[in-house]
Formats: sequence, structure tokens, C-alpha cells
Amino acid sequence: MSRKILLWGSIVVLCIYIGIACAAPLIAPMGPDAITGRPLQSPDPVHLFGTNNVGQDIFSQLIWGARITLLFGFFSAGLSVLISTMFGIILGYYGGIVDEIASRIIDVVIPLPTFVLLIVLTTFFSPGILTVSILMGVLSSIFGIRIIRSQVLSIARMEYVEGAKAIGASDFHIMYRHILPNVMPLVMVRFVSSSQHLLVMGVGLSFLGMWDTSTVDWGTMIQNAYSEGGVALGLWWWILPPGIAVIGISLALAMIGYSFEEKFNPRVGVNRI
Amino acid sequence: MISGQYLARRLCYCALSFLVCVTLTFFLLHLMPGDYITNYLLWLANKVPKEAVEQFYLEFGLNLPLHEQYILYIINILHGHWGYSYAYGQPVFSMIMDKLGWSLVLLVPATILGILLGTVIGAWSGWRSGGKKDLAIFNIMIIIRAIPEFWWAIMAVMIFAFYLQWFPLGGYASISVLSTGISFMDVLHHAILPIALMTFFIATGNYYVMRNSMITVIGEDYITTARAKGLDERGILWRHALKNALLPMVTITTFECAAIITGNVFVETIFSWPGIGYMTTEALRMRDLPLLEGIFLLDSLFTIGAMLLADILSSMIDPRIRMGRDE
Repeated sequence: MSRKILLWGSIVVLCIYIGIACAAPLIAPMGPDAITGRPLQSPDPVHLFGTNNVGQDIFSQLIWGARITLLFGFFSAGLSVLISTMFGIILGYYGGIVDEIASRIIDVVIPLPTFVLLIVLTTFFSPGILTVSILMGVLSSIFGIRIIRSQVLSIARMEYVEGAKAIGASDFHIMYRHILPNVMPLVMVRFVSSSQHLLVMGVGLSFLGMWDTSTVDWGTMIQNAYSEGGVALGLWWWILPPGIAVIGISLALAMIGYSFEEKFNPRVGVNRI
Repeated sequence: MISGQYLARRLCYCALSFLVCVTLTFFLLHLMPGDYITNYLLWLANKVPKEAVEQFYLEFGLNLPLHEQYILYIINILHGHWGYSYAYGQPVFSMIMDKLGWSLVLLVPATILGILLGTVIGAWSGWRSGGKKDLAIFNIMIIIRAIPEFWWAIMAVMIFAFYLQWFPLGGYASISVLSTGISFMDVLHHAILPIALMTFFIATGNYYVMRNSMITVIGEDYITTARAKGLDERGILWRHALKNALLPMVTITTFECAAIITGNVFVETIFSWPGIGYMTTEALRMRDLPLLEGIFLLDSLFTIGAMLLADILSSMIDPRIRMGRDE
């Protein structure tokens, strides 16, 4: 019972975040880069969370930051799931020599440390939000290919697939109409859990200084507040809002992920939340 | 047991994986805008004499055809010549080796403590799975995991170092070491907070694995048999359940030992601890590609080695795993 409340609560929280991100120009009183006050102002009715070290409104930055943070989280997760579903289904369905070669390649690539590889590659390419999202999506899809492929392997041997083949359905039709719906629950679980994972990772990377501070997202806000003395001066209204925003979305996604997993995967029924 | 043929094949895969890493770094260095030497020398001095550039070209073999350069690069990597950092002008390999020690100061105690803590709590929670206390712990662990690591670290600095002033704000030694020399107690005082944080992260990670493993083991027939025989619960837990549930921990442990960089890049950065994680952040900020590639090569070596070790160890511990027979 309480799990249901948790799930719906998390979905509501997620919708609020997405709504804020979409309606950022309507909600935020000022632009994310506009200098609208004295530096390091305390919270007051004009600047709800005060201003940062150059006088930008923290509340507006928080609202605008939601756009970029959610964008790279969901975009990279979507890309990752798209790639792993596509390749997983194709490899699992056709099998044979292509599958063999691809599996060996995955075996070779799996041990590579993804996080450092990501840092190396983004340093090489221009470290923009889009580049980082694409790289995160591609790198995290490799593991997903394996999971979905193994699921498809068993589905492709089902009788209804054979039946569809017997009545002359094309391969594409079988993959799209018969196999895809059967791996869809797994794909959904992968999407939610990897969007949580990648969103936190992206915020972490921007905290480390992946892109320049002119791009306002929650990671750069935390980094700015941390390195420019938000902690040392005890200005909690500078550092806490972006952090709490990240925690909120991360928790909501984690809860949705666990509930989905429990719903779609009967084996984890024992360890229910 | 492990068969020789399987081991040989596994070793081939490891070599291939590392070759992929080396090839990647080689091509990244070559595809970089401007070439390595010019970039490197320009970092060191504004105006570089032509003779020096030519000398470097000859020494690095940049006048050779690409495939010969590639072979030379691999040989160099195997000999520990990992190139020069742009930002510091020093050989990458020796820089990394300098920092590795400091990373291990945090990593070794944190890994040991984290594994112990995570295993004990996870085993207990799995044994009592479904109970009220188990669910409470499980939910707390989900919440802990969902909060980013760097946020925990910032909060720890803010509360314990800034407001309560129990620990220093960062670094690895006080300013007084300049006069008194470095002392164990001083370093320990600086290291306690980061070690505690890393222990915390490692323990939560291990908790899940151990709990899941325990739940799987409890569902096995031999536990039912043991109960049917009338053994007491404590005996079943210690003699039957725990031993089998610990098996996946071997793999996790080896992996955690390998995660020397990803494991602590945030903690080291926030505590300004002079290890590899902090160096990664600095190199990232300065866009120091050769240094980052060196860190990448080291990390991939560790990870590949750990995967191999985990396979061999678990097949030695568990006689049921007969690698290479049924494949």
C-alpha cells in the first residue's frame, strides 16, 4: 500500500520537475545570466534565494538549470536505451555469426573503465552538453545491449514467433510487433534507472568542471557555490537549493525505478520495498 | 577448477581489451588539433627553436609512417613511457605513480571497512528479508544511494569541518609540517573524514549485493533440507547460508579494489586529497589530454586485471564453477 503512494508521489514529483523545466521562462523572474543585484545578497522577496558571487539571481538559475539538467539526463538515457534495444533485438533475433562477433566485441569492451573514458573523450571533443550526453548515452548502452539480447534470445524461440514466421511475416514485422512489446517492460526499467544514474553522473561531471560556468545547470551551480566560498562563508541559501533539487529528482527516479522493477520482474518480488 | 585452455583464452581477451585502450589513446593523441610535440613545447615556452622541435620529432618518431608510430607507441606504453603532461611538463607515468600512493592511503582502509560493514549488514538484512527492520534498512540504503556522492562529501565538510571544526577542511597535512615534518597522527586526522565517507559508499554498494545473494541462497533447497533436519537457525546461517552467499562478494571485492579512480574522484576533489582522483579533476579542468589518457590506461589495466582475478578466484573457491568445460 505504502509502495503505491511512494510510486505515485514520485511520479508527481517527476511531473513537477518536468513542468518547471518546460515553463522556465514563465516561472523564473530573471534570466539565468542576467546580473540583477548586488553580489552575495541574502534572500529577500525579490531574490528568493539571494544572489551569487556576481549578483545573478539564484532562484532563476535554479529554474533555468532544471532545463539543462533534465535534458542531459533524459536525453542520454533515451539514447542509451534506444541503442541497446535496437542492437539487443537485432543480435538476439538473427543470432549466428554477427551475434557471435558482436558478443566477442562486447566482451572485449566491457572491462574498460567508462567514467574515465568519458572524461578522456569529452576532453578530446569539445565539452558541450550535447557531446557529453551523446557520449554518456553511447558508453552506457553497451551493458544494456547484453541484457536485452539475452532476453530476446529466449523470446525469439517462442512459438508465436515461429508462427509469425510460418505465415510469412517479415523479420522487421516480427521484431517490431512481437519481440519489442515483450522486452518493453525491461526497456522501461532500464530507461528509468539509467536516467537516474546518468543524471547524477552528469551533475557530477559538471561539478568537476566538465563545461564552462556560463552553462547554468545544477552541477555548475553547486561547483560555483562550493569553490567561490558558499560553504566557507556559511551562505547555505547558495549551495543548498541546487543540491536539494538534484536529490529530489534522483530520489523520485530511484523510487520509480524500484517500483517498476518489482512490477515487471517477478524475481525481485521477495525484496519488495 | 579452471582449465588451462579457458585461462589462455581469458588472457587473450585481457590483452585485446588493453590493446583497444592503447589504440584509442594513440588515435586520440594523433587526431588532436595540432600535434603533440608542438602543443607540449608551447606549454613549456612561448617561442620554440626549430631545432628543438625537429629533435623532438626525431626522438618521438613522429617522422615515421603511422603504422610504425603505432608499434613504437605500444612498445613505449609497455616500457612505462606514457608521454608528457601538457600542464606540468613531467612524464605522465611517474606523476601517476607519485599520486597512486596517496590514493591508496584512503582506498585501502575504506575498502576493507566498507566491505566488512556492507557484508555484515547485507547478510543480516537478507537473512531477515521481508521483516520490518530489513525494509527500514533497505529503504534507507535506497535513499543513501540516490543522493550523489559529492553532495554527501560537501555536507560532511560543511558540518564536521566547517561548523563543528572536528576535522580540517581539506588537504593531507597541516601547515605545521613545514617545520615539524610529516607525522602519522596529522595525516590520520586529515584522512578520517574522507575514509569514513568512502567506507560509507562502499558499504552501501556491497549491502545490495550481499542482501540479494543472501535472499537467493535462502530460497535454495539445501537450506530447506537443513531446516527439515532440525538444525538451529544460527547453525544454518553460519554453516550453510553465509558461506554460499559470500561467493559473489569475491567478484565485487576485486572490482572495488580496481576502482581506484572512479571510486574516489569526488571525495578526493572535495577534500583536496593529493591522489589520482584529484589529479583527474585538475587534468580535466586544464584539458590535459596526455595525463588523462595515462590515468585512463592505468585504470583500464587495473579493471581488466581485476576481472581476470575475480574469475580465477571464484572458480577456485567454488568447485561448482567449472570454467571452460561447458562452454
